[in-house]
Amino acid sequence: MDRMDDKLDSLWAEYRQACPDPEPSANFTPRVWQRIEARRRATSSLRHWVEACVMAALTLTLLIATFLIPRYQRQPVYQSTYADVLAEADSPDYTLVLTGGDIR
Amino acid sequence: MESAERAVAVLIEFELIERARSGDDNAFNQVLQAYRKRILGTIARLIGKPEDVEDVGQEVFLRLYYSLDQLRTPEVFEPWLYRLTVNAAYDYLRRQRRRHESRMSDLSEQQVMMADASAGGKQSKEDARRTRIREQVQSLLDKVSTEDRVLLMLKEVEGLSLKELEKIYKVNENALKVRLFRARQRVLKAYESEA
Repeated sequence: MDRMDDKLDSLWAEYRQACPDPEPSANFTPRVWQRIEARRRATSSLRHWVEACVMAALTLTLLIATFLIPRYQRQPVYQSTYADVLAEADSPDYTLVLTGGDIR
Repeated sequence: MESAERAVAVLIEFELIERARSGDDNAFNQVLQAYRKRILGTIARLIGKPEDVEDVGQEVFLRLYYSLDQLRTPEVFEPWLYRLTVNAAYDYLRRQRRRHESRMSDLSEQQVMMADASAGGKQSKEDARRTRIREQVQSLLDKVSTEDRVLLMLKEVEGLSLKELEKIYKVNENALKVRLFRARQRVLKAYESEA
């Protein structure tokens, strides 16, 4: 086992020598920058798209707030107040009906 | 060990890393120029496919560019760069393994080139010896997991210390020793069966 251990160690060392650091090609650095730029462009177009969506959503919200909500708010559910309803209910005509017209 | 000394030598000033981190493209270019050869060497030994080394190397520097702002301090730059390198190599090796599983009969471009060259008698004796060693180690490493392969390469071939590996793997020394021991045992077993 120890012998195999030693052989493996020497194999690693030989491998290290057999694979020296390669010289980068002339295109290496320009290609890195091209990829950086391509990612930057993709991120930027995605950001523009997101910004456009946000703007559209904001515009829609503003339109709804300006035109649609006030239109529904102008149609009141009750035409008169609670006090008006009570006063109307307490009118002499109404009392006449309740007492069968016999008022003394 | 020469490779261990090589691994710890910081190639650039921290101030340059700081400038690159704050978005200075010129500073980043200098970092790229300083580290590209070392990183390509590490990738070449990790993946064993010369034709794909530059592509993986470009991916490492692309990831570095877009993650540099997350670097806490320039002092941990090298372990950070090694981690990016290891991750890119992992991704590549996993992709290759999947591809290899689906096409068992394929030969790498390197192997084809080597076979062509040796058939034409173009290789010198020394080149042939180097090719044989590279193939032997790659075939040995193909028999273990990607994780074992990368860990052993970093320790045994790149000569990184346990302290450096701790920073890359973010695990403590004892856990690393156990992982290394097991990985080595598995490779030894494969080596014995090959011998």
